[in-house]
Amino acid sequence: MRPLVRLLSTLLALTVAAAGALLALEVGWHWWRPESGPLLVPWPRWQAELASLGWDAYAVRVGAGVLAAAGLVLLLCALGAGNRAIRLTDPADEVSVSTSPRSLARLVGLTVRAQDNVAGATVTASARRVRVRAKSTLETEGELRPRLLATVSALLDDVPLVRRPKVSVVVDSPKDRR
Amino acid sequence: MSKSVAAKALSRSYTGERTWAFLVGLLALAGGALALVVGFGLLGEFRGRRPLLDPMALDWLGGHATPARIVAIVLGVLLLVLGLRGTLRSLRPEPRPDVDLDRTEGAELVVTAAAISGAVQADAEQLDGVSRARVRAVGSRTSPALRVTLWLNEGTDLRSVWTELDTRVLTRARESLGLDVLPTAVRLELDTSAAKRVR
Repeated sequence: MRPLVRLLSTLLALTVAAAGALLALEVGWHWWRPESGPLLVPWPRWQAELASLGWDAYAVRVGAGVLAAAGLVLLLCALGAGNRAIRLTDPADEVSVSTSPRSLARLVGLTVRAQDNVAGATVTASARRVRVRAKSTLETEGELRPRLLATVSALLDDVPLVRRPKVSVVVDSPKDRR
Repeated sequence: MSKSVAAKALSRSYTGERTWAFLVGLLALAGGALALVVGFGLLGEFRGRRPLLDPMALDWLGGHATPARIVAIVLGVLLLVLGLRGTLRSLRPEPRPDVDLDRTEGAELVVTAAAISGAVQADAEQLDGVSRARVRAVGSRTSPALRVTLWLNEGTDLRSVWTELDTRVLTRARESLGLDVLPTAVRLELDTSAAKRVR
């Protein structure tokens, strides 16, 4: 999301700069020589078209809808571009440490997969929550889940996280489906 | 709460870009929604049927031609300047400042960014469990900081890397540079072994 926001904001800034330059240029030119035609932008033609178009025209409604949707997308992109790094406690003054969500997920995943009777696991992690989805063919959810919860909690106790994420474990076992 | 230099050095700041994108998005959303409200006649049937370029507004502009022109030109120049500044700001790569050790006139001493990051990188790669290290100087000339990215092997004890990094690598860097504090941001990539194929 972050590179996208950087790209979008660069393009927006370029557009704003170009629009500002054209505005100043055209207004100045028309003020200086009112009788000669427009410099770059055919604005008298646009003026005539806009004057003949009502607010309730189909094109205007569609354009407004597209503009609002684009604005919403941009808004969500900007909100979603936050820093996702997971902070660890500072080992010393003026030293700050962080790790990536992917790293934490990898760490938890390795431990979970090393447990007995776990056939496979997918882990997603963020600063607030660690989700584990384990597969087991030999144990039911009731048997395996408390054990995995305890293991992951013990593991997270070993990692000096600033904020301890909540752990949720789901076990997918064919034994439960009987 | 203001962030410390070390916390700021963890990653490049996106505040400017995010704020800018947020404001433009908000403006577009509000403008589009307002145009839709007018277009569907929610502000009165008659209002919706008037042309986009309203004759009333044009008359008013014609009556105040000179101030309107001045405002338009000033606005255009302002937008041009702000837009160019924003573009340059976004496109400029993150600076790698050199570290000033001595600012006394005639006896200035400067360590280049490449020298300090090379030295710390070589030290950090000696640590147990570190497979790769990358170090770069970040921040500004007046408040420089180091950003250290460490790739740790699978099964490395995090706490030992923790203490070793501070006691050996960073302390040595501080001592050799003669600085009391050297703000440092460490990014850890855990358990990065080369992918092993399981039969």
